[in-house]
Amino acid sequence: MLANFLPHVLNGLSLGLLFALIALGFMLIVGVMEVINLAHGSLFALGAYVALFLMGFFDGIPIGIRYALVLALAPFLVGLFGMLIELCMRRTYGKDPLYGLLLTFGAALVIEELIRVVWGSREQQLKLPEAISGAVLIGDLIYAKYRFFACALASGLIVMLWLFIEKTRYGAIIKAGAHDSEMVRALGYNLSRLRLGVFALGTALAAIAGIVMAPIWGIRPHVGVDAVVPAFLIIVLGGVGSFWGAVVAGLMVGLVVGLTGAYASEWSLLSMYLLFILVVTFRARGLFGRKSALDN
Amino acid sequence: MNDDNKVASQKRRSLMQAIAAGSATSFFGPWAVNHAWAQTAQKKPLVIGLTMDASGQYGASGVEERLGAMMAIKEFNDKGGVLGRRIEALHMDTETTPATGSRVAERLITRNEAAFLIGALHSGVANAISQVAQKYGCIFLNTNSSSPTEAGKDCHRTKFVWDGNGTNFAHAIVKNAIAVNGKNWVMLTNDYVWGHNTAKSMRQIVEANGGKIIEELMVPQNTRDFSSYLLKVQQLKPNVVATAVGGDDIKALRQQVVQLKLNQSAAWVNNQQDWPDVYGLGPESIFGVFGTTWYYRLDLPGVKEFVAAYQKQYPGMAIRNPGNVYHNGYMATRELLRCVEEAGTTNNIAVIKKLEGRKMSALDRMQHHDAWIDPVTHQVQQTIYMATYNSKPAEKDDIFTILTQADPKDVQDKDAAGACKLESYEATPTYEV
Repeated sequence: MLANFLPHVLNGLSLGLLFALIALGFMLIVGVMEVINLAHGSLFALGAYVALFLMGFFDGIPIGIRYALVLALAPFLVGLFGMLIELCMRRTYGKDPLYGLLLTFGAALVIEELIRVVWGSREQQLKLPEAISGAVLIGDLIYAKYRFFACALASGLIVMLWLFIEKTRYGAIIKAGAHDSEMVRALGYNLSRLRLGVFALGTALAAIAGIVMAPIWGIRPHVGVDAVVPAFLIIVLGGVGSFWGAVVAGLMVGLVVGLTGAYASEWSLLSMYLLFILVVTFRARGLFGRKSALDN
Repeated sequence: MNDDNKVASQKRRSLMQAIAAGSATSFFGPWAVNHAWAQTAQKKPLVIGLTMDASGQYGASGVEERLGAMMAIKEFNDKGGVLGRRIEALHMDTETTPATGSRVAERLITRNEAAFLIGALHSGVANAISQVAQKYGCIFLNTNSSSPTEAGKDCHRTKFVWDGNGTNFAHAIVKNAIAVNGKNWVMLTNDYVWGHNTAKSMRQIVEANGGKIIEELMVPQNTRDFSSYLLKVQQLKPNVVATAVGGDDIKALRQQVVQLKLNQSAAWVNNQQDWPDVYGLGPESIFGVFGTTWYYRLDLPGVKEFVAAYQKQYPGMAIRNPGNVYHNGYMATRELLRCVEEAGTTNNIAVIKKLEGRKMSALDRMQHHDAWIDPVTHQVQQTIYMATYNSKPAEKDDIFTILTQADPKDVQDKDAAGACKLESYEATPTYEV
């Protein structure tokens, strides 16, 4: 019984890491800028398409090196594109949050249509290096090598982002900016540049998630929709602005989706929403959300 | 607002529009009564509404069936149209969403005066469109939605179903798969009407042939990660995995099955494989055995010319060769326009009577067996092909190997006739546009 159950737990946790990776960029932008970036999903898709383009562009280079290049370069390019969106958003700061929401929603539609125009509606596939494709046998079960790679990469990125935010001066400024932007400005830091940097980083993270998920989900213009919904759900579940909240929530969602997929398959997609309802009913600010003045 | 009020209000609005436009003619829709257009110097174009997905789960297939319909329309227009009238195609994206399907159908009929509606992939969307079409008496050709319910319990006098359905495909595949691969089956089923009905039919046929369904795993629509399902499949160790999973879901599933190399450790049966869902994925992603209604390399008269016409008409398309979805879109549209010509009128009842029981030769449809439209269910009974991936492709796109073809008589859905209750002619609003 346990031998049968354990693989599903591990699978759920690995799925959770991927969910957490998808939510990271989203969380960063919401946490620091208090902007719900509805274009996150489209940027996720754009990351995969830019990677696809670069794989073709660097054709001729050995695939392992090409893949590494693409993994570094595509998020950078999408990050630059993210900067463009942030520049457009500046007029919405300090106004009704609905303006920002509408602007990012519009951006999402524009990006998706751009993808259709440039790459078409048909499904595409990202080639993988030999070393991370194929499968391994553990016990009598087969696991995809790529999944291990994706989980390792997701874990690495999560740790690196945490170190960046917690242990670097720039990270401290970002946190301070999220907490009290006026004070940060008064201390002489350029808040506009800070926001620009955060948005670029958030969109680059969305792009990395898109590239990592491409071999699992496939590449289609509307694949971003599959990313933005769990991302939104995870950051609310974990507590808006809480880094580890998002990670834990991602793992929980992965675990619940993985286990229901195996034992109550028809509930597997619904399970994440049920978990969300359950948590938010008893803890409205999410698992690790900060207490607000209204809670007293 | 009751129907009478609706009609009155619509007449008033049309009249106001006509006066405002200073036009001598006005449109007295909708189709509760017969009416004829005032004859003007130039005949009014015949509008065909294309209710096809351009986005959502079946967006890619929606584009292909639209091209098929457009090709047939172009051929007629090149000959001067139908009944001396140019044909205008008007497309609206049904978004793989039933509610959108309803809205689009309603709009095309009442605002755009579409004489006929063509196109559907998702059975929920097809059913939604067909309910609106029946309300107005508008003929609707469901080109590519293959749930057994479409020509079963959800059939309508005005609806004609052009694709093979889940039962047809299951009949063609199951017996052979049990004999070759074994009796223990696991099913992966998309959790919506097409999946349910296809799986139900598959289960019946498996059990009737001595097989056993050891587990059925329901896959919610829009599932992207199949790892837990595939782990479960490995633990169950079935002889055969039968999938009734469609659109983007099957694409994601295929990628993950190939990654795990599960395509080599179990026999996979996919009820039907639409060409746009696998095009460009490469032979390694096209595993198992599946059904289809047409392939671009069938060694039959007319196929090469048909493919060449597609390539000439649509140069630079991502899908360089037409597939089953395009074929259905083309055949349905062409046959409808032929019926209009033969009837000598666009009157819906006259055209319905032309379509019911219609016989279509194998040569004409580029298939191995003659086809016909079942007058009881309105489903096209046609050749069903069993195919698998091609390990020795003659060219890049040659990704299928056709294993065998089934006579439509041998794979008929016997339950459909009992489940289908067509509305009477009298209960169907009649119109002529």
